Amino acid sequence: MQKDLYIFSSGTIKRKENTIYFEPKEGEKKYFPIENISAIHLFGEVDINTKALNFFAQNNIIIHVYNYYGYYSGSYIPREKNVSGELLVKQVEHYLNKEERMYLAYSFVEGALFHMQRNLREYENTEEFIFKIKQELEKAGTCNDINELMGCEGRARDAYYDAFNVILKGKFLFEKREKRPPKNPINALISFGNSLTYSAVLSEIYKTQLNPTISYLHEPRERRFSLSLDISEIFKPLITDTIIFKLINNNMLKDEDFDQDVNYCYLSESGRKKFIKEFETKMDTTIKHRKLGRNVSYRFLIRLECYKLIKHLLKDEIYKPLKAWW
Amino acid sequence: MFVIITYDINEERVNKVRKILKRYFVWVQNSVFEGEISIGKLEKCKKELQLVIVPEEDSIYFYIIENKNNYAKSILGLEKNMDSYIY
Repeated sequence: MQKDLYIFSSGTIKRKENTIYFEPKEGEKKYFPIENISAIHLFGEVDINTKALNFFAQNNIIIHVYNYYGYYSGSYIPREKNVSGELLVKQVEHYLNKEERMYLAYSFVEGALFHMQRNLREYENTEEFIFKIKQELEKAGTCNDINELMGCEGRARDAYYDAFNVILKGKFLFEKREKRPPKNPINALISFGNSLTYSAVLSEIYKTQLNPTISYLHEPRERRFSLSLDISEIFKPLITDTIIFKLINNNMLKDEDFDQDVNYCYLSESGRKKFIKEFETKMDTTIKHRKLGRNVSYRFLIRLECYKLIKHLLKDEIYKPLKAWW
Repeated sequence: MFVIITYDINEERVNKVRKILKRYFVWVQNSVFEGEISIGKLEKCKKELQLVIVPEEDSIYFYIIENKNNYAKSILGLEKNMDSYIY
């Protein structure tokens, strides 16, 4: 129900009359209902003062900041109220225990590969790619260490991206996955979409007691919230990729939606807005949950994934990755 | 659920009411707000409003649409385009 606010224009964000007030450099000033916003994403050049930051902290609003190219660069997170020493100890314990870690890492890969196959099944002539992914999934089951597992995941992903040329209609071609910087429109879309998924997962992790820096599939290192990377794996094919297929196969993107030069390609502001619109619609889409017996949104599914992980860590219920059943 | 709110409030209190509503909904016209909200938040909002209004003089109408697919909005003249969260 709560929405995310995306700000592309440059201007100032203020606290005014106990709600969010945005004063753009040009254009109309605007109020946003604080009670209905759960996170703010800043893409433009925005000024903000401590009064506003305090106010956001009070209301539990996370602020995600993206750089000029639309990449996630950091967050302002209100003082964490959901802290749990016990869970942190368990999280670390599962990381240090090789078997436990392998189990969780494998689960994330399993979820990711399952959703990749599910995406491909929707389209014709993708059997060979599905077969390849299936093979890698089997291999992943027999891996002994994380590097091998990452290798399987990588090869499966290569096969998956190869299938993009079969799936995608129109003039957009996908040669190979290139990051930093993305070199063609599809890479730009994948990068931007993953960036959004990543911060959405992070927002949800912060609503639980999990510590976002301790992860299982990705190596937990400095300067990044790697648990968010782990959980994103499951949701990337489910959210980012389906949006990309929709945008391209329905011819919703034009040349001016990309900022292109010789060695890079980024989404332009109009392109980002289109993507975000689809992203928000997707996140608000609801599915009847089999176990809960009620409708839950994609956004809430991410949170449920965190809860499942907590249950696993506390030895309450064994973790099984989400497998879309609809 | 989706809610449309219209109000008639004595001038002395109208600003207080607007300030409260502004925190929950999007201001679309002079005395009209609209927006999606959860049942709990709506109750919270009503409680806050009750503390401000004088029941003998003021009135606030809530039009509630359970399923937002069941309503359509069309606009004549100026569209203020206030309901977007992408800015």
